[in-house]
Amino acid sequence: MRRLLFIFLLFASPAFADTWPDDQWSAHPLTSSAALKELEAYAFPPRDEQTHQGIRTDALLIIRNGEVIYERYAGVTSAQTPHLTWSISKSILATVLGVALGEARFKLDDPVARFYAPFNTHPAVKIQDLLHWASGLDWQEDYEYAPLNSSVVAMLYTRGRDDMARFTAEHKVANAPGTSYRYSSGDSTVLAAALKGMVGDAAYPDYPWTALFDPLGIKSAVWETDATGTFVGSSYAYMTARDLARIGLLMQRGGRWQDRQLLPKAWVGFNLTPFASRTPTNEAPGGQWWLNKAADGKPGPWPDAPPDTFAGLGHWGQALYVIPSANLVIVRYADDRDGSYDHNQLLKRALKAVAGEGAQ
Amino acid sequence: MTARKGFIRRRPFSSVGILILLFLLAVIWVWRVQLQAFPTIISAYTAKEYCSCRYVMNNPVDYCQSYVKQWLPSTLTENLNDKRITATGMARESTAQWQGPRQGCRLLPAQP
Repeated sequence: MRRLLFIFLLFASPAFADTWPDDQWSAHPLTSSAALKELEAYAFPPRDEQTHQGIRTDALLIIRNGEVIYERYAGVTSAQTPHLTWSISKSILATVLGVALGEARFKLDDPVARFYAPFNTHPAVKIQDLLHWASGLDWQEDYEYAPLNSSVVAMLYTRGRDDMARFTAEHKVANAPGTSYRYSSGDSTVLAAALKGMVGDAAYPDYPWTALFDPLGIKSAVWETDATGTFVGSSYAYMTARDLARIGLLMQRGGRWQDRQLLPKAWVGFNLTPFASRTPTNEAPGGQWWLNKAADGKPGPWPDAPPDTFAGLGHWGQALYVIPSANLVIVRYADDRDGSYDHNQLLKRALKAVAGEGAQ
Repeated sequence: MTARKGFIRRRPFSSVGILILLFLLAVIWVWRVQLQAFPTIISAYTAKEYCSCRYVMNNPVDYCQSYVKQWLPSTLTENLNDKRITATGMARESTAQWQGPRQGCRLLPAQP
């Protein structure tokens, strides 16, 4: 009888029931501490609206165990602002593709050309190669130092803007597909075009909503397209910090949302497996996510964060960090125009602020 | 052969000048597609990102003007009725327009 009571208490106890957001997130704010003040001093220094120099955080949201424990906004950004995510869009697109994989709409080793005809000129490139940014196409992502030659600027603003995936497909080959990591917004955009072939023209315009945003309760999402209606999968998804955190929580919990396995577990495993590239890189790419462990077993780029940390990252300091071992999801929106912001510094202070609660 | 040698000897500075000119023309030829498209960047960036700043992120006018400001001069015209933004810069013009609550903003195809 006592054992039965124990089992009953075990399942009734809130410690064993996951907390999920419904329409709103429940909140359990951190109490003030020296570590929390240090985090705020790093993320929210006095904001320079004239020169745009320095760290300029627009939003910082920390979720632990499915509850908001810290939330602050700055500048004109508020809890209601669907903020531009820039390249976090790539990780959001990957999450949409994960649902499509669960519906058996494609396989990782399918040729891209099966879903996107202009890739008939690159018949050996597979979906998994695009997911690893390893199409092998001669893409030039850099725009700070080589604006004339930048593929991404041309894709978004000039030669490629009306049909971004086709512009990518017209690039020459630099490496054999699947061998060499080369960060490419073009590869991500082709994934968005291939999704159209997977789900069909009729379902496509609403697919990110029906597949992912609606089940997660995301109501603020905007996803811009090019003139052909293809989502700009590399760059142009927008949502509130609280809504982006829902995608982080889904990933933190292995692709499960409440009692539904929305993303196949094998898919999440693929996302979070380091890609073994033949070309050296200081980054640790997985499948459209950034990892904190490298394929050769070396440590990842954020030494003060656990090795299971992963992130979606975007231009000007946008970040969605997920740390499953600490039950943490952190959303940071920003308008950093220089390189002063450091992921590791933010993660270090956030982990300390969270761990330091009540330890003063 | 001897005639050209004679020319280089008689006009060394002109010869170097002609060589530099030929080199520049070759560079321009190789990069002609990129060079032709490049000046559009300023107006296209300004129109598109201002449109999204205003109508997707719902930020105020003065914030968005500062948000898209570049080191090269540009102008912005906002048509509130049809949420259409026209920008100029580097002697080019680009237009972006809000498409809908889920679609946000998009650059309109360049007029021929």
